[in-house]
Amino acid sequence: MSTKLIKAILLVEDNPADARLLREMFNEQGPHNTELTHVDCMSAAEKHLSERAVDMVLLDPGLPDAQGLGAIRRARAAAPRVPLVVLTGFDDETLAEQALQEGAQDYLIKGQIDARGILRALRYATERKRLERLKDEFVSTVSHELRTPLTSISGSLGLLTGNAAGILPDPMARLLAIAHTNSQRLVRLVNDILDIEKMEAGRVVFNFRRTDVRSVVEQAIDANRGFAEGYGVRIRLEDACAAAVDVRADPDRLLQVVTNLLSNAIKFSPANNEVVVAIERGTDMVRLTVRDRGSGIPVDFKPLIFEKFAQADAKDARQKGGTGLGLSIVKQIVDRLSGEVGFADALGGGTIFHVHLPCWDHVASLAIDRDSKPDSVRLLLCEDDLDTALTLREQLRQNGFATDFAYSAGDAFTCAAATQYRAILVDIHLPDGDGISLIVRLRELPQYRDTSIIVISADPNRGREDLRSSKLNVLDWLNKPVDFDRLMRLLLKPVVRANRRPRILHVDEDDIVARALNDIADVVTVNSIEAAQRALKASDFDLAVLDVALANGASLDLLPELRDSKGNVIPVVVFSAQGASLMDVADEQAALAKSHASIDSLVATVRDRLASRPESVSGATA
Amino acid sequence: MTVIRILLVDDEPDIREVVDVSLGLDPEFKTRACASGADALAMAAEWLPSLILLDVMMPLMDGPTTLANLRKNPRTAHIPVLFLTARTQSGEIAHYISLGAQGVLSKPFDPMTLAASVRSHLPVWADHHAPVEQTT
Repeated sequence: MSTKLIKAILLVEDNPADARLLREMFNEQGPHNTELTHVDCMSAAEKHLSERAVDMVLLDPGLPDAQGLGAIRRARAAAPRVPLVVLTGFDDETLAEQALQEGAQDYLIKGQIDARGILRALRYATERKRLERLKDEFVSTVSHELRTPLTSISGSLGLLTGNAAGILPDPMARLLAIAHTNSQRLVRLVNDILDIEKMEAGRVVFNFRRTDVRSVVEQAIDANRGFAEGYGVRIRLEDACAAAVDVRADPDRLLQVVTNLLSNAIKFSPANNEVVVAIERGTDMVRLTVRDRGSGIPVDFKPLIFEKFAQADAKDARQKGGTGLGLSIVKQIVDRLSGEVGFADALGGGTIFHVHLPCWDHVASLAIDRDSKPDSVRLLLCEDDLDTALTLREQLRQNGFATDFAYSAGDAFTCAAATQYRAILVDIHLPDGDGISLIVRLRELPQYRDTSIIVISADPNRGREDLRSSKLNVLDWLNKPVDFDRLMRLLLKPVVRANRRPRILHVDEDDIVARALNDIADVVTVNSIEAAQRALKASDFDLAVLDVALANGASLDLLPELRDSKGNVIPVVVFSAQGASLMDVADEQAALAKSHASIDSLVATVRDRLASRPESVSGATA
Repeated sequence: MTVIRILLVDDEPDIREVVDVSLGLDPEFKTRACASGADALAMAAEWLPSLILLDVMMPLMDGPTTLANLRKNPRTAHIPVLFLTARTQSGEIAHYISLGAQGVLSKPFDPMTLAASVRSHLPVWADHHAPVEQTT
């Protein structure tokens, strides 16, 4: 079997000797052009995994900042889809076993690692990658290929049982009703499996908006009334709260939550009983409960209730027509809604499930950061996941930043127009549009033409190429979970802190380049060495851009004079208008754009230079 | 009686039949069906249906391409199109709407209510050839 799919390996090992040994063995055994990166602690591993594509992780779970099972879990969380091979001690079979249970691909026993072991690990990892790929294809195929025949089957049966082809005699009607019910069950199962898969892969986009819980609950009750009648069960909405209660949710997904809880309660209710739904408003959250009068959940099953395909009694479940996925889907959705789901034995028998969801007013009141110090630097975070937003705000606050939230692209635009933010963090997935279009709109506002924008994304690949090829001047791209240290390094950059347009001294005979640079900076164009010298005396610049052809190459004589009023060296980008000659400027302060013909690449170089300019550069002096 | 002409485009013969019977539950609907995007373009231009129910995944010319071609022909450009698809994710629905579809119905559908769903997507004066009562 080929091991070619494994191109990048991350080795997490704090013992340098072990790391060296492993590197040598992998270099001998691994496929050619496999790149092995070595880090010596978990936080460095997490950072690497958030930034780079890795095909396999080799982990020693005895690290300075993470040990044993904790280390394995953190590695899995940082890269759930990347094959993980754990390096264990000679006598640590228990940990090896736990590692496999946590989803590790394989383990290698330290001190006994040989060529065969290495090759096996690589092959397993290859196979795992191939399987992941197959699974993705399979799931999208299932979606179409299973639903197509199901459409014909359940459609035909639906027409027959609906008497669309004439009134059916009794035994035939009953048999067709059985076929119809079961075809619908199959449809639900296919939908549930696809839902779970998509949610686990983080591919479900939630469209958060102001949602009236009551109307969603009423909709779910209406949709389930027929189903309940089939079980001889009534559904009653007990409403302690007369006023409408708005939460922040995706109404379609919330409907799925209520529907799943209702159908669960109905299935486990004895005949001639009722399922009671209640909505209560708390201070910051809404409590939705669904109570049944069933036999309750067996004690030993309680910890498993939200697991996939978990059913207290398999035979029972088949009779009830469930898929074993309903509550697992409920849990996944409620987590994404920043809510909480749980259950308890109901007084008088049966079970009561509760869902807590954040009130709209509460979430809206959180949008403006009112608790930070008055002199904090204010940022805007466009992020639809409330939990992520709150965590980031807390961390940023400790570092002197105030963070306002925008939960949608529309909100973000309104906030940005009303308040001048020093920097904007944009999640690429937003409920009402993608982050890139938002950035395009923000850049059209004069006050945001140069503001630092940082992109945050849960999907390392999607949209990144679009962004790279566009001229939106994004400071950086961070993957979720956000590496906070890296974010802080970005926010402490002078481009963010200074919040003024950079100034460029442009020494050139024509102004073609200047026009292109005007988009990113204030440009002073001069067409002679003398004029450049005068400009340098008059004010400070963040960067100089020199055409080497000016005055037959004499413009390079300016290099030693490129200093600001404090004596700091001004970085310089040199370019050649001829396009043909590639000047090799040995001076380390100079970056060279290859040819005049490619103004875009010159602008990109200038932009990079400005983004990395040192903090000591000061503002213009009189 | 008003006649509302519905053109159904789906490469699966069984689905065509089920949809045909389902739509037949509405006495005002008259349905014709074809199996490919190319046939749909020809039939739409000639028959001028009130609405087109269009499958998304079809060989040779898929639903979105068929829609784009319908929009290019002045004779068919105005005809509302509903996608009928086995893949309905909210993102995909938004995408189809952005292509200019009137709406999206998912497969499997409820055959007893399909006609009503289609009707709800018809513009007020769907059938340009239907007699319109004069009000004074």
